[in-house]
Amino acid sequence: MEKLLDTIRQAFDSIRTQKLRAFLTILSIVIGVFAIMFAGSLVSSINSTINQQLSALGENTFYITRMPSINIGGGHQGRLYWMRPHLDIRQFQKFATRMQDVAIVTAITGSSGFVVKAGNLSTDPDVSLVGTDDKYFLTSNQEILEGRALTPTDIQYNRKVAIIGNDIIVKIFPRENPIGKEIRINNRPFTVIGILKPQGALMGQSQDNQIIIPVNLFLINFASRWEQDLTFVVRSPDKISLSSTIDEAVGNLRIIRNLKPYELNNFELETNESLSEQFASLTGYLSYFGVFSGVIALLSAGIGITNIMYISVKERTREIGIRKAVGATKRWIVFHFIFETVVITTLGGIFGIIVGFGFSAAFGLILGTKITLSVQWTLISLIVSIALGLISGVFPAWRAASLNPVDALRYE
Amino acid sequence: MDESLIIKLDNIIKRYEMGENQVLALDDISLEIKKNEYVAIMGPSGSGKTTLMSIIGCLDTPSSGTYYLDGENVEVMDDNELADVRNRKIGFVFQTFNLLPRENCIKNVELPLIYAGVKADQREELAIQALKNVGLEDRMFHKPPELSGGQRQRVAVARALVNNPSIILADEPTGNLDTKTGDEIMKLFHKLWQSGHTIILVTHEEDIALNAKRIIRLRDGKIIDDYVNTHQILIEDQKNI
Ligand SMILES: Nc1ncnc2c1ncn2[C@@H]1O[C@H](COP(=O)(O)OP(=O)(O)O)[C@@H](O)[C@H]1O
Ligand SMILES: [Mg+2]
Repeated sequence: MEKLLDTIRQAFDSIRTQKLRAFLTILSIVIGVFAIMFAGSLVSSINSTINQQLSALGENTFYITRMPSINIGGGHQGRLYWMRPHLDIRQFQKFATRMQDVAIVTAITGSSGFVVKAGNLSTDPDVSLVGTDDKYFLTSNQEILEGRALTPTDIQYNRKVAIIGNDIIVKIFPRENPIGKEIRINNRPFTVIGILKPQGALMGQSQDNQIIIPVNLFLINFASRWEQDLTFVVRSPDKISLSSTIDEAVGNLRIIRNLKPYELNNFELETNESLSEQFASLTGYLSYFGVFSGVIALLSAGIGITNIMYISVKERTREIGIRKAVGATKRWIVFHFIFETVVITTLGGIFGIIVGFGFSAAFGLILGTKITLSVQWTLISLIVSIALGLISGVFPAWRAASLNPVDALRYE
Repeated sequence: MDESLIIKLDNIIKRYEMGENQVLALDDISLEIKKNEYVAIMGPSGSGKTTLMSIIGCLDTPSSGTYYLDGENVEVMDDNELADVRNRKIGFVFQTFNLLPRENCIKNVELPLIYAGVKADQREELAIQALKNVGLEDRMFHKPPELSGGQRQRVAVARALVNNPSIILADEPTGNLDTKTGDEIMKLFHKLWQSGHTIILVTHEEDIALNAKRIIRLRDGKIIDDYVNTHQILIEDQKNI
């Protein structure tokens, strides 16, 4: 214990005599540890949030889209995706008719950046617009708080009706009940028929800054000719029938698209499972990146520490000579200097962990999600710091131990 | 081998390679020193005194020749064994004191005990005892830079004797001290000799050498003279006055 304190003090001496170098080195340990820990924690938080959301959507639901939701890379496969036809409203109508006995189907499209006004009050140009049909609330986890949902006749006659989220109400209907009132979305008039139940934020994005309107109106008014692309949502009655429903859906869409038996599907099928797999691979890349940059930072930290310890050994040549003269063995000196190095790197690592905790907490606040700092990554960071000290201490320690006592005592 | 022999050098040669040049620092030295002798090694600068002391103190190894320390052949020892021998059998006192400037006197004196594996509380006790023996009980918590040259050399002497080694090796211990403080250090050595230590004192000052019972003179790495100091008694008489 006393020896530990002694060595810590000597480690601080080594640091004190070379402040700038030590600062930079400890900084790179901090960055390295932080990168590893932060990437690890962030990724596991994102994963758990996404999985939560996905499972909230229900296990019986799947989607048909033009392209995979996460398209990493590009290249040849990317071009093939872009060459696929859009899932347009005609195909959807045929699809819905063919599927009506098997499952609940709906279409979703949308985009964001809309301005919504009522009287002389206005939102920021950041409102998300969703175009869908009367089956929407049967397939999503969203609910109506007040008023009513879209009806088949709303869809059939393209009624200019809207269901609005809480953020919009706060901005443009601060004092009145919006139901029955007129709003203007990018200056096109709609009548409010319902209010969405508030959902809070997901990954820092409010889920309540949203308006739902009939799908056709969205396509006519707010989508250009090359944006007439829908996501088909299919909900099978239960989990057992999910795979037969998927088969049915794929078959029907192939028929609608006149695909020959030898042609591949020119659309994408996404289940909750396939989506979470895609997210997992994305977060996998993120964590590789974090670990990679962490390793680079730690590598430079290692070089920095080796350097500091070399200089420290040189400056303490005479001290080493004295210690050897009075009986310090090679083994003892090696141990002493490696230990001193480990003290420095571990201190850096602990700093890094603290900074990592701080950043993760701050990031969690910004994103509106809880970033859980895993014990696992904290431990890994600590172990990596210790290992860094062991590795970068070896050469300076060996240099110190191999000094010839006569030469060391002569050293000025 | 004679039981009372503590140091036995046979045909010791030490060569230093300096690029093309070779320096023959010790040229065929054979020497025997008995337990509890008080020997002064004398000679002009560059005659090989420090080199000889380094070899006797196991800080360095000879280019050739054999060295028996307390009956053990040093030649066959590895680094760790040499460190152990230095720790147990030899106490060094250097011209430049060679103390750790950042540690207080007790910590400095404790140093050999750390490597001897003595427990912390016992270490401190022994260090304090050694510091009392050299008359520094009131300076124990000072660090070397806060002490005078004479006081520093006493700390070094305390460190040399704390592990109770059989041999005290001193290389110009008074070289950095004025005559009066030098004499005080020499009194300490006299005391150590009386209590049974073997003292080997390197110096180039005649009057310091006269404290020893035996004087060996070196020149160009060779022993040119080795005799009993007959002036010794006279000096001792002076001291007793
Ligand atoms: N490490 C060394 N490398 C080269 N030459 C050395 C070394 N140490 C001592 N010498 C040479 O060996 C000779 C003896 O030196 P030294 O033992 O220090 O003499 P003294 O202590 O009597 O002054 C000198 O010529 C000195 O230059
Ligand atoms: Mg000398």
